[in-house]
Amino acid sequence: MNCNVAIVWMHDYIDGELPREDAVTLKQHLISCPACRARFDQLEKTEALLSSVMAEPKGQAISPATSAALTAKILKQIPSPARHRDWTGWIRRHPAVTAAAVFVLVMMASLAPTVNNGSELIVRGDDLKQVIIDGHTVIVPEGSQINGSLTVENGTADVRGQVQGSVTVIDGSLLTASTAQIAGQTRTIDQLLDRFWYKVTQTFGSKP
Amino acid sequence: MKSIEANLIRLALKGDQRAFAELVGMYQDKLYHLAYRMLYNRQEAEDAVQETFLRVFRNMERYDDSMKFSTWIYRITTNLSIDRLRRRKPGFSLDAELPEHDGLDGYSMFASEDTSPEEEVLLSETQHIIRNAIDTLPPKYKTVMVLRYLEDLSLQEIGDVMDMPVTTIKTRVHRGREFLRKKLEHKL
Repeated sequence: MNCNVAIVWMHDYIDGELPREDAVTLKQHLISCPACRARFDQLEKTEALLSSVMAEPKGQAISPATSAALTAKILKQIPSPARHRDWTGWIRRHPAVTAAAVFVLVMMASLAPTVNNGSELIVRGDDLKQVIIDGHTVIVPEGSQINGSLTVENGTADVRGQVQGSVTVIDGSLLTASTAQIAGQTRTIDQLLDRFWYKVTQTFGSKP
Repeated sequence: MKSIEANLIRLALKGDQRAFAELVGMYQDKLYHLAYRMLYNRQEAEDAVQETFLRVFRNMERYDDSMKFSTWIYRITTNLSIDRLRRRKPGFSLDAELPEHDGLDGYSMFASEDTSPEEEVLLSETQHIIRNAIDTLPPKYKTVMVLRYLEDLSLQEIGDVMDMPVTTIKTRVHRGREFLRKKLEHKL
């Protein structure tokens, strides 16, 4: 057996990776070759010393006090709000959802004034000359004719006359007398979400 | 099933600081020993451990739980320790024997600088010799030897930590062992 091969096998043997039949061959070589035997002896001693020194915790062991101090130091350097990292990570992973959320947020923000001034009466229309406002009630008097649509927010629409267009009531109620004639649609919008869609369709110009 | 560590990482990512503290508790001392064996300096070992956890915290979301957490964290600590070893600029060769100290080389003068007298007694002469021999190993061999003997990792596990093929690790273990054998030759 070649001594160079024997040296490689010695290491494999020490690492526990030499097949049994090769170990037998190696042993036979060691018996016949004093140089290799000496080398193998040194390698085994080195191995034993390494294991014992590395496994020996004495002298290098970290004391409980030092360990606790180190833990405190480690945790102190960790930035506390981990949440916003989470949040930015989520945004990076879901760009489309984020864009949609921003859009909804902006639309909601545009609604905010009406939500906050919930009790303020708003009347919109093409022809408001004949409309009578009494407190929170918007009256279309009997016998009158409104040439266009009427929108009432935060109030009651009391229609007794004729309306050529549609009547829309937002966050309020619609009363129609027997004499009332509404040429267009009548709509009552109560829910915040309905109002939201109403705003959206208005904004984008498509007539509801 | 997910490992304890993977679950703790998941909680820590949600902002649970106790989960992160738990991970620190599980690994801190192990990593300290690993870094200490690599660096043989208490302060540097502590710094390396501290830096390891900062990196873990910053890269938590990139942790891939198909890899063992211990492999991942050992990799960070060994890389940081290797960086520190490489940054050390040898001012003079420690291998040179000093004429005024008969039989003493630079190591025996510096090796004890951060051990207390009580610990000094516990370190036998043989331990000193081996410790000094290990300290002269080039970083790439040192890492392999420390992981092999201190952490008792298999060659495959060392390969995972160092992100190298097992054959390379095997060669390094053999060369490292030969290197130490030569260093210790006249003392064995």
